[in-house]
Amino acid sequence: MIHLENVSKSYRTERIETLALDSINLEVETGEFVAIMGPSGCGKTTLLNLMGLLDTPDQGTLSLDGEAIGKQSDRSLSRLRNRKVGFIFQNFHLVGDLSVVDNVEIPLLYRTLSSRERRELAAEALGRVGLSSRISHLPAQLSGGQQQRVAVARAIVGRPQVLLADEPTGNLDSQMGDEILDLLEELNRDGGTVVMVTHDPRMAERAHRTVRLFDGRQVQ
Amino acid sequence: MIRKYVQLALKVLARRKFFTFISLFGISLTLLVLMVTTALLDHVFAPHPPEVHAGRTLGIYGVSVQSETGSGTGFLGYKVLDACARDLPGVEETSFFRLHGYVSLYRNGEKLRSFLKGTDASYWSILDFDLLEGRTFDATDFDQRRPVVVINRTTREKLFGRQSAVLGQSIEIDGRRFEIVGVVEDVPIVRIVAYSDLWVPYSTARNDDYQQQYRGDFMAILLAGSRADFPRIRAEFEARVAAMPPPDGFDVVRSGADTFFEFMSRQIFGDRMETSHAGRLRWLLTLLAFLFLLLPTLNLVNLNLSRILERASEIGVRRAFGASCGHLVVQFVIENVVLTLLGGLIGFLLSVLVLGVINRSGFIPYADFGVNLRVFLWGMLFAVVFGVLSGVFPAWRMARLDPVVSLKGSST
Ligand SMILES: Nc1ncnc2c1ncn2[C@@H]1O[C@H](COP(=O)(O)OP(=O)(O)OP(=O)(O)O)[C@@H](O)[C@H]1O
Ligand SMILES: [Mg+2]
Repeated sequence: MIHLENVSKSYRTERIETLALDSINLEVETGEFVAIMGPSGCGKTTLLNLMGLLDTPDQGTLSLDGEAIGKQSDRSLSRLRNRKVGFIFQNFHLVGDLSVVDNVEIPLLYRTLSSRERRELAAEALGRVGLSSRISHLPAQLSGGQQQRVAVARAIVGRPQVLLADEPTGNLDSQMGDEILDLLEELNRDGGTVVMVTHDPRMAERAHRTVRLFDGRQVQ
Repeated sequence: MIRKYVQLALKVLARRKFFTFISLFGISLTLLVLMVTTALLDHVFAPHPPEVHAGRTLGIYGVSVQSETGSGTGFLGYKVLDACARDLPGVEETSFFRLHGYVSLYRNGEKLRSFLKGTDASYWSILDFDLLEGRTFDATDFDQRRPVVVINRTTREKLFGRQSAVLGQSIEIDGRRFEIVGVVEDVPIVRIVAYSDLWVPYSTARNDDYQQQYRGDFMAILLAGSRADFPRIRAEFEARVAAMPPPDGFDVVRSGADTFFEFMSRQIFGDRMETSHAGRLRWLLTLLAFLFLLLPTLNLVNLNLSRILERASEIGVRRAFGASCGHLVVQFVIENVVLTLLGGLIGFLLSVLVLGVINRSGFIPYADFGVNLRVFLWGMLFAVVFGVLSGVFPAWRMARLDPVVSLKGSST
């Protein structure tokens, strides 16, 4: 599903150049649940952004669902993101101006669907995360766990093949964290590929396997 | 697709009340000023009754004379018009009239200042006054020098009230009695050709001295068959004036037939009769409108740019879920257009109110400003131009934000 070969990525600021990822080779199979662990600053988010086509590698090759990612235009990259990837962020990143259901509809806006179809799909996704009763609330009116469940609904509403979750439980207490992880496992059982960054070994245990990073490099 | 973005825009605007308020305030205020100004300009320059034929009317408004010692401009004397403005090729009807200026009328010992014009009979057929009572004067009145006067509604009401009959009554103007033959609707002061309180035949002047004057208080209007006749009318008139022997002590006499717009531009840019300034005035007005429009546009651009940071997370999220830069630009531009259209609507309603207040205040004599459809459409056009102008640059900046960076920010 996701294939990385010799992928490197560095960030240049005025003075220093940080090698965020150094020759990463990684294969994520379809239907797999992979955890990524490592200390802060080791490149986990960078890796996830590359997999989700939000960023491009400096070196190496990357392919998603068999499609090599090279010099596609912004439009076709956006399209691929829209169809194939669902993101869950550590700090939710819900749009505060929009209601819960409008937030969940965001990925559907960039497809050709009628507003009724969008509303139905969004309602269904919210049903899956158990938030049918909060459809027209604003994000600020929800608890942290509920907000992250909205984010999960938003990530799955477009039925992407890959879910990329960047510390989805990092800002939640353990009980709410477990709920989110239950959801991810359920989605994985339904055939979705899940890649999750986490600091928490307890969470990582629930994945099929764990990839460890240290200073931009893969360690065993 | 558009509907989707419009709905989205309305939601965002409803949530961002402060931003929306500030923006709407700026836009509607600017549009208000713009609409009031255009209503004013429209009122001055566009054909309105009684100048219904303004589109094919040329006016002879002034004369400039030059000598070795200097030059001067002023109103024309009858002599020049009589010699040069009659029977011009392409002209259907010609009218001469003079601006006597303010005279005093007395009613029950109380003084009333009124504007007096002396006209011929053609004046009443070229201009289409709204006749409320009686009649205007005709060629017979004029030729026989009958002391008749047409008054406007306000003068009638001030002198006689609304009820009693006025036709056949006489009033004393400048020590002579004139019989009132008609009452016409008031005309705003900005229409210098038609404006007055009292109109008498200029043939009733005490003596014929005016007929020998180069410079005086006369103007003329020429009703052409169509605008296409303007060039040859002008050329012929100018040639005739140039061929006239100049008055004693002067070398050159120049006059020209102008549209009212050209006349106004001459007033603004200088008084020489030989060059037209209409292009410059049009250009200046356009520039002023543009600069004026730039203010709220820049303000809105500024507001929008300052919101980029605030919306960074949203931009990152949308990018992550498949929005292309194009999608984002469209979204933000539509947000701005919706905002400015709303502002336009509010500005429009405000200008209806304000123009109504100006009309009723009597601040400008006999003003009758209306927000007509043309002005409204102009206003709306401005609003959209606004929206696009103030939306594109911030939108482009927003869309170009790196999603990776914008997603780094704090949570909602
Ligand atoms: N936009 C950027 N500009 C410069 N350097 C960056 C940028 N983004 C990340 N880095 C650097 O790249 C390295 C990897 O960053 P990354 O965000 O991937 O770490 P991480 O493993 O996700 O850390 P954390 O667990 O704290 O989220 C860090 O050293 C970071 O300073
Ligand atoms: Mg990170």
